[in-house]
Amino acid sequence: MDLLCDLDELLIFFGLQMPDLHNEAKIRDSTILKIPLKFTESVTLSSLEPCDSTCMIAQWLGLKATPDYESGLDIDLLERLSFSAGSSQPDEAHMSIQSRSNPSDIPHMSDGQVWDQAFRNHSIHTCLMEMVLSLQQAVADHITQLATRHQQQDLVPEEQGHNQPIWGQEALLGRLMFQMVNHLQFGATGGQKFQPPCPSEDSKGDVRSREQAQVSKQIYKIFYQLTNFEDTSINYVLSNRGVETSALYHGSFQDYNTYQGNKYHEDKNTSGFINLGTSENKLCTDLLTERLSRSDMNYIDDDLLQYSDWRGQPFLREEVAQFLTYYCKAPAPLDPENVVVLNGCSSVFSALATVLCDPGEAFLVPTPTYSDFVFSAHLYAKVDLVPVDLESQVSTGSLPLLSPSRNEESRLGSFQVGNSQVVFIFQVSDANTHPFQLTVDKLEQALLNAKLEGKKVRGLVLINPQNPLGHIYSQDSLMEYLEFAKKHSLHVIIDEIYMLSVFDESITFRSVLSMESLPDPNKTHMIWGTSKDFGISGFRFGTLYTHNKEVALAMSSFGYLHGISGITQYKLHRLLQDREWIDNVYLPTNHSRLQEAHRFITNELKSSKIPFLSHGSGLYVWISLRKYLDPCTFEEELLLHCRFLDKKLILSCGKTFMCKEPGWFRLVFAATPLLLKHAMQRFYTVLVEQEQDWVVKQLEDAINQEVEDLPASDASQSYSREVILTSGLEGCCSDLGL
Amino acid sequence: MFTLPQKESRKPTTCPGSVSTRGLHSIYGDGLEREAARKPDQKLLYGVGDPTAMFSSDSPHLSSRGSIIKWFWDSAEEGYRTYHMDEYDEDRNPGGIINLGTSENKLCFDLLSRRRPRSCVDVGDSAGPHCEGILREEVASFLSFYCKSPAPLKPENVVVLNGCASLFSALATVLCEVGEAFLIPAPYYGAITQHVYLYGNVRLVCVYLDSEVTGLETHPFQLTVDKLEMALQGAISEGVKVKGLILINPQNPLGDIYSPGELREYLEFAKRHALHVMVDEVYMLSVFEESVGYRSVLSLEGLPDPQKTHVMWATSKDFGMSGLRFGTLYTENQDVATAVASLCRYHGLSGFVQYQMAQLLRDRDWINQVYLPENHARLKAAHTYVSEELRALGVPFLSHGAGFFIWVDLRKFLPEATFEEERLLWRRFLENKVLLSFGKAFECKEPGWFRLVFSDKAHRLRLGMQRIRQVLEGKSQVAEDPPSCQTQEPRGPHR
Repeated sequence: MDLLCDLDELLIFFGLQMPDLHNEAKIRDSTILKIPLKFTESVTLSSLEPCDSTCMIAQWLGLKATPDYESGLDIDLLERLSFSAGSSQPDEAHMSIQSRSNPSDIPHMSDGQVWDQAFRNHSIHTCLMEMVLSLQQAVADHITQLATRHQQQDLVPEEQGHNQPIWGQEALLGRLMFQMVNHLQFGATGGQKFQPPCPSEDSKGDVRSREQAQVSKQIYKIFYQLTNFEDTSINYVLSNRGVETSALYHGSFQDYNTYQGNKYHEDKNTSGFINLGTSENKLCTDLLTERLSRSDMNYIDDDLLQYSDWRGQPFLREEVAQFLTYYCKAPAPLDPENVVVLNGCSSVFSALATVLCDPGEAFLVPTPTYSDFVFSAHLYAKVDLVPVDLESQVSTGSLPLLSPSRNEESRLGSFQVGNSQVVFIFQVSDANTHPFQLTVDKLEQALLNAKLEGKKVRGLVLINPQNPLGHIYSQDSLMEYLEFAKKHSLHVIIDEIYMLSVFDESITFRSVLSMESLPDPNKTHMIWGTSKDFGISGFRFGTLYTHNKEVALAMSSFGYLHGISGITQYKLHRLLQDREWIDNVYLPTNHSRLQEAHRFITNELKSSKIPFLSHGSGLYVWISLRKYLDPCTFEEELLLHCRFLDKKLILSCGKTFMCKEPGWFRLVFAATPLLLKHAMQRFYTVLVEQEQDWVVKQLEDAINQEVEDLPASDASQSYSREVILTSGLEGCCSDLGL
Repeated sequence: MFTLPQKESRKPTTCPGSVSTRGLHSIYGDGLEREAARKPDQKLLYGVGDPTAMFSSDSPHLSSRGSIIKWFWDSAEEGYRTYHMDEYDEDRNPGGIINLGTSENKLCFDLLSRRRPRSCVDVGDSAGPHCEGILREEVASFLSFYCKSPAPLKPENVVVLNGCASLFSALATVLCEVGEAFLIPAPYYGAITQHVYLYGNVRLVCVYLDSEVTGLETHPFQLTVDKLEMALQGAISEGVKVKGLILINPQNPLGDIYSPGELREYLEFAKRHALHVMVDEVYMLSVFEESVGYRSVLSLEGLPDPQKTHVMWATSKDFGMSGLRFGTLYTENQDVATAVASLCRYHGLSGFVQYQMAQLLRDRDWINQVYLPENHARLKAAHTYVSEELRALGVPFLSHGAGFFIWVDLRKFLPEATFEEERLLWRRFLENKVLLSFGKAFECKEPGWFRLVFSDKAHRLRLGMQRIRQVLEGKSQVAEDPPSCQTQEPRGPHR
């Protein structure tokens, strides 16, 4: 029976099991897993038929099925998706079905079969599927272990507690589940507060009455209801990728849209949202407004209103080449023919990914990284990002995995989060001399892992100055990375969009274009734009400089889709041309204002003892709020993020940067002092509340525990179970470097 | 934009065909099949485009789709690059190339620049992922007025992006899976092939129209539901999944205008087969013959399938501002609107351009009393001049009082009815410093048709026509000579 409880906890954990299907005790049990109840409650408010969701998740796990179906899903699906984890172990799943004592727990099987059919025919949302499959795997393993233990217990009934492998497996389960829940709740909603989803149509009826092809959409539908996808009426109009695009967008930009609807204004709307989440420089709008209002900007010519060269107006490309030659300190003048001008760096990245990779191929990217690249790589280009996970801890040794056997590790080695392949790197020998340091060893390791996964890696994406870390790569390390790329004939895409926002004069930033001899110039592509360095993100301007003419030409086709207005191009040309204003007015003022704002923020953070990383460049600091999370999970990170939102403060949480460790936030400081002051007040209010809640929670837990312990018929067993689960979680946390 | 020459992309004849037209897919592939093309009883009814078939050689630095994308660019470049290196200028380069190939209205720059936009600089916030704000309201009220919609159009159904190319790309992506297709009557504005392919990887199934008027047809290149049905069935028989129908109204390059009756028939056809209909009405205000009686699809009462009818418009043509990059989608389908808006991050336009657009569209007085009457009068004058010139040359042409172009029949100037000859003639025009667009770039199935843009200043137009005349008069003599061996020219990607 122990075994079945565990399975039900899984379902509760997903929030997909309705509470009324289970007795109180099981729900209380679920709290052992330290799931915030808020989460469970909110999802169970779903108006979905409970059986739908239950069946769905259960079948994914391959654990709930009617006898006439038992051999169906698991094997077929595993084969279809060629999930290569080795043993699919349908027998164990089968066994668990047999061991079910109560067949009435299996409602509405006909629906389930429809789901099954859908999955056979449409491997939609494969990423999630694979995650579920790896979870299935882990559960099956776990069951085997438990089953064996039962047998052993039969033999040696006096033995209590768990042996080492089971501990490890439960930790593994916990981890997988976090990943999935994070994906479901977080990946798809991107930090919006949990709300009860809107009432749905009768989805069951639809499923029955429609073709199988449409069932897949239905699954999406349910998904997005579960994940609070705003628009519940997903019909059959859009393509699968269209549905996905909508969902991704809604997930990623909900905060931003909320903010747009209710912006803070010092006089008109003091209770509006303060946005320290979007990396925009708002310190120099006065200078820019003045400059852009000068009469030389308002020129209109026939040529500007006509079709021009799709790579960008020749005068602008010429200007960009000169500008980059000067500010990047290029050893030789840069060639305007190598410049491509598009409407923003996202567009440049998207187009570049398309011409360098075929769908499903991948780029390496050190994480944490600018979230938009994740979005851009996926949305149009369908290119995967393989994270090179960096660690905050400065160390010389390795962090041992809790999991006891190497076998376990290799299985955990990778699975998908979102639609990007995530590869877990079990770092062993690398020294971290400063937090989140990128080393060639880590790159090599990530590349190797990706290859083992069968991923074709075409390039490496670097951001310098780094976002969100604020790092600047030294010339030597940059060279090492470039050599690494050359060795494996990878393209290197370097985003230097913050290159003029290095405000600490003691720091020397060296652009990749300044290097005398690039290891592989034909595969080195540099991206820059005016959004950050000039604080004019509304202009929509991004540029690519590549030594590779072929790439430049292929990129040109995208001028049709990512073109900039002629008049905007003219204004940009004038702006970039005005070297005197930039050097004598704009940059000095901008840097001193950034310094000031940075000083204010760092002093605040220091005085409140919040650890942060910042290196005198960029518009943000990377702060650690790990100590405010209990447990330190992405789940809690999201809840804290929502707390900030409740207090009308927008920050970006680490998860959106694909940070491996929960608890990191990016705080943008390039705002006016008054705004920053207000923002920090809100910031502290939240942290104080968070602390108070933590204390309350601790007390409640202690009380609950006592209450729980007293009436339990088998106190020792329930205690041991708790130990298993909590220690499993702690295992996760310590594994994550906490 | 400059038209896009495209290489033959028919499938080889080896595939077994249940449809009688199957054997003709590679009609223009070699001499033998060219023979077949001349037989009147066998007609090419449709063709499934496959951009991957056009390019094979791989690049060490590009992905395979990157290579195809580069090929698109290279192939479009010949005329365009030649033109840009040697643009005509009255004073500085009187011997330069006159561009009568790009469909742009160059007649009203004075009007536009006289209406100087009030300058407004707001650099503070980015336009955001949504191209938001007052602009969408302005667009909705603008379209309600000029499309004569029975009820006011709603701002929430409007999506604004940087041009119609982006719209085609976004729609293809959100409506189709990779490899699925749209139907499109050909000849059509050829760049759409590229727009739907670049990111969307969506193909076009051509519904080939004939210059010959047969049966119940009333005019050349007439689109009928029968042809749509045949093409759709043909595509289905090849295993191609068709998701929608693209209509351009007023048509480019034919200049046709669909009557409300025809339009409704096409829409009913689409509804029957559950197809989306994308109606590109980018020339809707460039109907300069009052008598034509153009009706926007948004003016129709009771659309057959409003949830699958999507209307596009832009300022590129009607306001002669192709360099401004402004395009808009009107769709009652909220899912489509939202999905397309999700891609706005990649197709955004500058905040201040949005502001200026809103100002322009709001200025109903200027548009109605100054711009449109003047624009139409000038278009009409230019059109009259060019059509008279063509008549004097004895050149047949099609034109219906809409758009910036005339669809010119130069078949009698080709020594042989092949696309090679068409291209040679086109090159001869270019050598004589006048740039036109040839029919192949519009996927026209009959070689020898050219699109001639007349919306240019009188002096350039005069010079351009003069140069055309020179070529044709020289050429028409050549045509009487026995055919040369030029057909041997290799059919590699056009450079």
